[in-house]
Amino acid sequence: MKAAGASRWRRVAGDQELLLLVLLGLLLVAVAARAPEVLTVDTLFNVARESMVTLVFAVAVLIVIISGGIDVSFLAVGIFAAYSAVSLVPQEGPAATAWLPFAVAVAIGVALGLVNAAVVLGAGVSTLIATLATSAVFLGVLFAFVGGTVVNSIPEPLRVLGSTSLLELPAAGRGTTRLSVLVLPVLVVCAATAAFLRWTVAGRSIFAMGGDREAARRAGVAIGPTVVLVFALSGALAGLAGMTHVALSGRADPTTFFGGELNVLAAVVLGGALISGGRGSVRGTVLGVLLITCIRSSLIPLGIPPVWQEAVIGSLLILGVVLQALASRVKPVRAILDPADPVLAPAPLRRDVVEAGDAR
Amino acid sequence: MPQHLSATLVTGVLALTLTACGTVGSSSGGGDPAGAEGSSGEYVNVVKLTGIAWFDRMETGVDAFTEQTGLAASQTGPATADTELQVGVIQGLIAQRPEALGVVPLDPGAVENVIQQAKDAGIVVVTHEAPTIQNADADIEAFDNADYGTKIMAGLAECMGGEGEYVQFVGSLTSETHMAWAEAGLAAQQAEHPGMTRVSDPVESDDNADTAYEKTKQLLQANPALRGFFGDSSQDVPGIGRAIAEAGLQDDTCVYGTGVPSETRELVADGSVDGIYLWDPALAGQAVLSAAQIIAEGGELSTGTDLGVEGYGSLVQSPDNPKTFLGDAALALTAETIDDYDF
Repeated sequence: MKAAGASRWRRVAGDQELLLLVLLGLLLVAVAARAPEVLTVDTLFNVARESMVTLVFAVAVLIVIISGGIDVSFLAVGIFAAYSAVSLVPQEGPAATAWLPFAVAVAIGVALGLVNAAVVLGAGVSTLIATLATSAVFLGVLFAFVGGTVVNSIPEPLRVLGSTSLLELPAAGRGTTRLSVLVLPVLVVCAATAAFLRWTVAGRSIFAMGGDREAARRAGVAIGPTVVLVFALSGALAGLAGMTHVALSGRADPTTFFGGELNVLAAVVLGGALISGGRGSVRGTVLGVLLITCIRSSLIPLGIPPVWQEAVIGSLLILGVVLQALASRVKPVRAILDPADPVLAPAPLRRDVVEAGDAR
Repeated sequence: MPQHLSATLVTGVLALTLTACGTVGSSSGGGDPAGAEGSSGEYVNVVKLTGIAWFDRMETGVDAFTEQTGLAASQTGPATADTELQVGVIQGLIAQRPEALGVVPLDPGAVENVIQQAKDAGIVVVTHEAPTIQNADADIEAFDNADYGTKIMAGLAECMGGEGEYVQFVGSLTSETHMAWAEAGLAAQQAEHPGMTRVSDPVESDDNADTAYEKTKQLLQANPALRGFFGDSSQDVPGIGRAIAEAGLQDDTCVYGTGVPSETRELVADGSVDGIYLWDPALAGQAVLSAAQIIAEGGELSTGTDLGVEGYGSLVQSPDNPKTFLGDAALALTAETIDDYDF
């Protein structure tokens, strides 16, 4: 009876999505108590605006993390794709042609994702090291061959798209507050990715591969093509995120994302994605991104010096990992290799698995 | 294999000889013994970060220096505004033994050591935007920092009618010049415009327009009466202006601060930004290298020295630091005058 109670408690503590909701609620209460005037539709729109780009990047990272790797090249891929696309497409044109730079950016993102996949598969190194290397190469190539200066006037169709509002309301204080129309593609992409991961064979294969590569291989998952798919998808999403950022900000600055990896990775891990692969959800990632954005935008209203921001986000990352450790004591993630079943988990195979785990 | 080795040796010796020739050529005017040995004779300007319009413009001044003097000069810097990266860039350059380094430090305190290393290696070092520097040979400032901060505040206060809440942005709280302008602006406001109030300590933008944009929106929400913005980093005003434009508050707010015409032209035209202040980074870059050339050739800077660059025709030695020399090169641009500047 007592044991069952403890287990239930652990299950609740281990449910990261629930905990994120609680944290978001606590934050709202803190802001409401300290600065109630901030709880307006403006804040809602601001948080949506600031989350959009991070969210698409986070979904790109989520796919790689579920597959059992850690990608750190997504920001480099994103700005490379967006900056190049801005330089490639015509400057003028009707607003209806705004899809073109997005298509070009996604295509470049896929191409860079394929480079990542080639390095991961070809060199057989861990995804972290491979993408650390490729991101440096991507940025070097961007600065050397495409350009390193800020583009202040982006193509006309993009500029129009970026300043088109889905909703425009009078702000609580003065002026107007707006929700960009670009929030729609972001939502569609999140829903589509969630559906892909949940209901397609390819999506399930990514989970299987991340949970246990050897077991997935034996179960008939083609590892090579799945890795290629993961990086192509992740690259496409990063390209989309980069272009969304450029359209929203009205300028293409090649250095704009530098140092932002922590925010995105922290959001994904907080959202319940298991850092060693095999588990994670788009829903959790959305919550993780929202929590981090809310924290970032609450610091000023709460009167906390902005210098604390990084420390707070780092602490949240630790919290996320601790929660995962708790949760994994509740739910065995690699049930297929449960040591209780000696037939399915003979000693030599388990050593393979440990090595594969190290490589990741 | 031995053949290959000897070929390498010959090439190496030839290269050394050529380098030596170059050195003799470049320092012929001064006969400075320290710089002569193994120096490449090049003048290198190290900026805070590459790729932003401000330092791209500075690079044209470096090119103008080459045109004017015939000396080899180039510009480099870290790809992100990171102090450690900048120190690494300078350390890498020391090994190449240039004649002189111009340095625009991100954090003057953090480069003192590496500047000393450069000087120990016989390299002349002249800084810019580092008025408290101790180890450099000299520091060139476009103007007196207090004057500049006071000037921005004068514009802001006039626009606000001397009343209301305002906020100051700085690139980082460790940026000495940004803080000096902010403090001078605050002091001028307290002395002359008691009807105005600063709502918080200076807000950091990380020299990033997106950060400035997000923080502006948060500040507008947290402070409904906020009307004035005082930006110190060249990336502050573009971000602040975009937030103002999106909220449709052009006529309701006053935005003044450091800015580059190319990055702010549209915002100034539609009234989101009301005035930008700057010095021409091209002239500053050229002035830094000219000062370095004078020192490398054995000369000295003093009050009244003419660097041969507009706005730096008669330097004034700073009363606070004998190594710092001030020019008179500040520009104030509004919607009427911004189109005269094409950078």
